[in-house]
Amino acid sequence: MLAELVQHVVNGLILGGGYALMGIGLTLIFGIMRVVNFAHGELFMLGAFFLYTLFSLWGLNFFAASLLAVAGVALVGAIVERLILRRLRDQPIEIPMLAMVALSVIIQNAAILIWDPSPKSIRHPFSPVPLTLGPIHVVAIRVFAGAVAVALIVGAHLFIQKTRLGRAMRATFQDTDMARLSGVDVDRIYMFTFAFGAALAGASGALLGAVFWVYPAMGDLAALKSFAVVIMGGLGNFLGAIVGGLLLGVAESLGAGYISSGYKDAIGFVLIILLLLWRPQGLFGKRGLAR
Amino acid sequence: MRTRALWGAAAGALWLALPVLGVDDYYLHLLVMTGIFFLLAAGMNLLLAAGQLNLGHTAFFGIGAYASGLLGIHYGLSPLWTLPAGACIAGVAGWLLGMLTLKLRGAYFVLVTIGFAEVIRLVATNWTDLTQGPMGLAGVPPFNLATERFTLTSKRDYYYLITVLAGATLWTTARLLTSRIGRALRAVKENEALAESSGISAYRYTMLAMVTACVLAGTAGGFYAHYITFLSPELFGFQNTVTMAVMVVAGGQGTVLGPAVGALVFTFVPELLRMAAFYRMLLYGAILLLVVMFMPQGLVFYLRRFGASPAPTPVGPARDGAAFEAGAGVGESPAGSALSVAHITVRFGGLAAVDDLSLELGRGEILALIGPNGAGKSTAFNVITGFQSADAGRVRFGAADITGEPPYRIAERGLVRMFQRTSIFPESSALDNVLTACHRLARTGLAGVLCMSRANRFEERGQIERVRDILAFVGLGHKESELARMLSCGEQRLLGLAIALAPAPSVLLLDEPAAGLNAVETVRLMGLIEGIRGHGLSVLLVEHDMKLVMGLCDRVVVLNYGIKIAEGTPAEIQRHPEVIRAYLGTGDVVARP
Repeated sequence: MLAELVQHVVNGLILGGGYALMGIGLTLIFGIMRVVNFAHGELFMLGAFFLYTLFSLWGLNFFAASLLAVAGVALVGAIVERLILRRLRDQPIEIPMLAMVALSVIIQNAAILIWDPSPKSIRHPFSPVPLTLGPIHVVAIRVFAGAVAVALIVGAHLFIQKTRLGRAMRATFQDTDMARLSGVDVDRIYMFTFAFGAALAGASGALLGAVFWVYPAMGDLAALKSFAVVIMGGLGNFLGAIVGGLLLGVAESLGAGYISSGYKDAIGFVLIILLLLWRPQGLFGKRGLAR
Repeated sequence: MRTRALWGAAAGALWLALPVLGVDDYYLHLLVMTGIFFLLAAGMNLLLAAGQLNLGHTAFFGIGAYASGLLGIHYGLSPLWTLPAGACIAGVAGWLLGMLTLKLRGAYFVLVTIGFAEVIRLVATNWTDLTQGPMGLAGVPPFNLATERFTLTSKRDYYYLITVLAGATLWTTARLLTSRIGRALRAVKENEALAESSGISAYRYTMLAMVTACVLAGTAGGFYAHYITFLSPELFGFQNTVTMAVMVVAGGQGTVLGPAVGALVFTFVPELLRMAAFYRMLLYGAILLLVVMFMPQGLVFYLRRFGASPAPTPVGPARDGAAFEAGAGVGESPAGSALSVAHITVRFGGLAAVDDLSLELGRGEILALIGPNGAGKSTAFNVITGFQSADAGRVRFGAADITGEPPYRIAERGLVRMFQRTSIFPESSALDNVLTACHRLARTGLAGVLCMSRANRFEERGQIERVRDILAFVGLGHKESELARMLSCGEQRLLGLAIALAPAPSVLLLDEPAAGLNAVETVRLMGLIEGIRGHGLSVLLVEHDMKLVMGLCDRVVVLNYGIKIAEGTPAEIQRHPEVIRAYLGTGDVVARP
């Protein structure tokens, strides 16, 4: 009984690591740029497909392919910011939101044309034999995915807290005009933030794509999950996205194990509704930040 | 105005004649779908007028469809009854969701509504006993008029039925958007705090818009169910809501006709794109992106440019300082003080921003609340007007205890404030700014607004007259049709004062009215405040400009570190040693905390 519970929690944490990566990207983009990135799921999907193309089709080394895939998604993010979002910066919040929805339609249908809609699996170089620790079994690729997710989260945190660029991002987050007056190149920060958020989504997609399946619509559900994550944690809140992601992963894993797998994907939103009754601004959000 | 009515009549006649002119069934079907999407987009537009984008709107479409369909299948009821029942069920669902979410703003609201639709979609997929799950629900009866003998069979029948529903929707949304209710919704979007302080409850009006929108969506769903006779959980899909949102934004959000234009264009565009075969959705996405990027104001805005620009309203003669109808607070006794504050305390963490403050404002009195920066003056104002809750103490307005009431209710009673920072409705004309703030004086209810009753029109005209008087009084009579954000800084302050006078307050709270004004403007402002008192109002003001305070006020209360240190006439205050010490410091080496 207990072993089963622990097994669910471990699975949930690994899944939650992926959600947290998605959530951090989304929350950074919203916090700094005031853009709800409805194309986040498609950036996630691109990460998986870039890895699939580089590794499975072109035969690159798995790790090099992963790095290149993430870099590729970051590049896509930078281009999107430069060509679309920069022009919409002064518009009310729903305009960039709908532009990102339109972009997600474009990217997803382009992916269908390029890679066809059938699900693909990535034959990663890890052994399919599960690692066993007492009563718990985890396949190696999942351990790898979990470890990379943790490393990326910690890396992102250190980057934002310790580097000059990270400090400029935090300054822009707090007060864009003041940051600009202090000599921060806000245009560059916006572009970098979107590319960075995109890279995190792409990394999450590459990791979960290697564990599960790769297909053009895989981003839809992932995007919904990451929305749930950022609402739980409070929009614009870094720590909140991590806690929200892990919480959602574990809750889903337990829910699928003990309640019903059909309703697994609803758990996040039911959690949100319960949370809102208790704390309308999210777990860590401050009142008024949502505006 | 005349030509617009003619154009409208011509478009209506053409619409009604289309089936008779022998339009193909395929196009009739598309027009019926246009009608359905118009109902959905019009509702979404209504809520968006208040700044709330419901990206789970399709959930209410689906709820109405399944409710009406299931009632028809299981109980054999005529769609004539099940369709309104489904609409009501959708309305109740909207009310429940609204109670949970309408406190949220911006992106939070958007994301939570998406989540709601997703949960409902999963329920519809997984509750197979009720909905047949992903297989879909077949065998929904076609629409009939109470008995099966009068069943609607042809596309033409459904075309006329949806025309009736769409016409009713157009009328309803037009009445709501162009009346005081529409002004209240836009006020919530443009400046929620100012709306509340003008007596408009943001929650009540967003809820009204939400429930109306959901009833419309439920109606559209019920119609769809009996028209298509097959339902699947796809109805709850996000893509559906996106289509509606695109129709609203591309058509022209906040406008009456925008959703109709959007529904027409974006029902036909995907059909035309069928020629592009595999590239259809790719092209569709590209068109969406281009429309959103380059026409964010919507098609209606660009169509209007072709039409004649509206004739400028004739401007009356300047009547600066003219009298206006001040009105009086509701249900107050003439005896006693106008406002009394007893022992209020507000703590932020360990710091007492206001500490045991008591003050009385007499009828017809001008009382100043002064003190160094951070003395707690604005906090005291926020407590009195309900924007901040006090940890202790009571606030009485006339005979009524108003402690802890929400701002809009306090404003409804006739206690109205002006904000320290310039606070206006930036995207509306000066006239509309003040008209919006007249909200609490309206006596005609929702029914009067919807039927455009005589009383409603009469009231509207009377209010516009009164607003013109108020604008003339503050000296903005010649600027009534200008957008508020285009006014100069000083004019915006005066507009703020006019907005505060609009709800006919009996007590006016002014938070640094002279901030940002030059010496000449300040002198004029003093004259205005004196004039306001002349109209029978009592005034409590916070001000740093000592010339204004000493020259205008009957009494002065001085705050320092949240504590009242002195109270008296201007002459007494100027000599008060505590006050001099608070403002100028002492010769002591050790500074006081």
